[in-house]
Amino acid sequence: MNCAEAEDRLDDYVDGSLPEAEFQEMELHLAGCPPCREQDRRLRAVLAQAAALPKTLSPARDLWPGIAGRIEGQRRAPLRGWRPIGLAAAAAVAIALGATLFPRPGPPVAPAPPPGLPVAVSPGSDALPEVEADYARATTALLAALSERPSSLSSETLASVQKNLDVIDRALAEVREALRKDPDNGELTHMLVATHRKKLDVLRRVVRLSTQL
Amino acid sequence: MRLLARSGGAGVASGGGFIRVGAEEDRQADERRLVRQAQAGDLSAFEGLYRANERRVYALCFRMSSDPSLAEELTQEVFVRAWQKLGSFRGESAFSSWLYPLAVNVALSERRSRRRRTSRVMITDDLTPFDVPRPGKRPGPEAGFDLERAMAGLPPGARAVFVLHDVEGYRHQEIAALLGLAEGTSKAQLHRARKLLREALGE
Repeated sequence: MNCAEAEDRLDDYVDGSLPEAEFQEMELHLAGCPPCREQDRRLRAVLAQAAALPKTLSPARDLWPGIAGRIEGQRRAPLRGWRPIGLAAAAAVAIALGATLFPRPGPPVAPAPPPGLPVAVSPGSDALPEVEADYARATTALLAALSERPSSLSSETLASVQKNLDVIDRALAEVREALRKDPDNGELTHMLVATHRKKLDVLRRVVRLSTQL
Repeated sequence: MRLLARSGGAGVASGGGFIRVGAEEDRQADERRLVRQAQAGDLSAFEGLYRANERRVYALCFRMSSDPSLAEELTQEVFVRAWQKLGSFRGESAFSSWLYPLAVNVALSERRSRRRRTSRVMITDDLTPFDVPRPGKRPGPEAGFDLERAMAGLPPGARAVFVLHDVEGYRHQEIAALLGLAEGTSKAQLHRARKLLREALGE
């Protein structure tokens, strides 16, 4: 065995994975070759230091707040994806509906709060189900009023109103589901009430239109 | 969650649990419980798992990257990904056995993406300790040999294999699977790393 061959086999020799015959050859070579013996000594010294390195090290700062923040951010991420689909669709429908059914001059005006119904609820408030029930009762009353005049609006208009109200209802369901997972989210609470208000406003205008015809 | 001590100390409380050092069976049982709770969405339970493994993961990331700041970022990335993938952990092995390969992959993927972004790789603040490749320069005396600093000067691929094989105790077969290499390539990288470190040790 020459020095180049010994160099090639040094790792396996030190790791104990050299076949017996080559191991014996290596032993013989090292016994008579001080430079290769020095390489053997150095490698063992390096490996001894590597094995003695601490298996754990402490970062200079607590990394958990950053990790928790990113995880919490990802937990909210589906809501960001939901908004444009649900509420924006509902808002677009309501706006389109208003423009189609109730054209009026001037800039669009935010729907006025229905009398007796709250326009805002504190995030996480226990009153939210009751507020939703109030809006549901008002909506039901308007739908009942509309159903009493089945011939006052064209079937196409009524079908369009129904279709768009269904879209708003789906948006409401999405907001409720998001709020169930994140009940203290103020933005979602506001969106839920605002969407109810929008739905009620559309219905009130449809009913008003039906009575004017 | 109430933190009693960092993972290197007495233990960590989380969601009413407590990881004790020195009681392996209890530790494993607590770990399994924390995993189940974390898989159900309990972030405080996941913090317990983090506290028990952060220093080991940080050490691995530091040695793979040779950059303390980058190692902190990598450690955070490891645990964020662990949270995302926690559902795939079936508990058939120790949590750490599942986590550390993930840490290796995060560290390596970061290295690959950095290599794509720039051809220049920042290794450490101080590049002087690994001056072996320069002929004629004599390193310091062997007694003062700093392996951590010498490792920082290794080519990244060789350093990764050296860290995994000679520091972390992985076998070539495991390293090859982790790094997507042939086993022979892993051996060749290890030989390269060891040879450079032998030279660094002093002539």
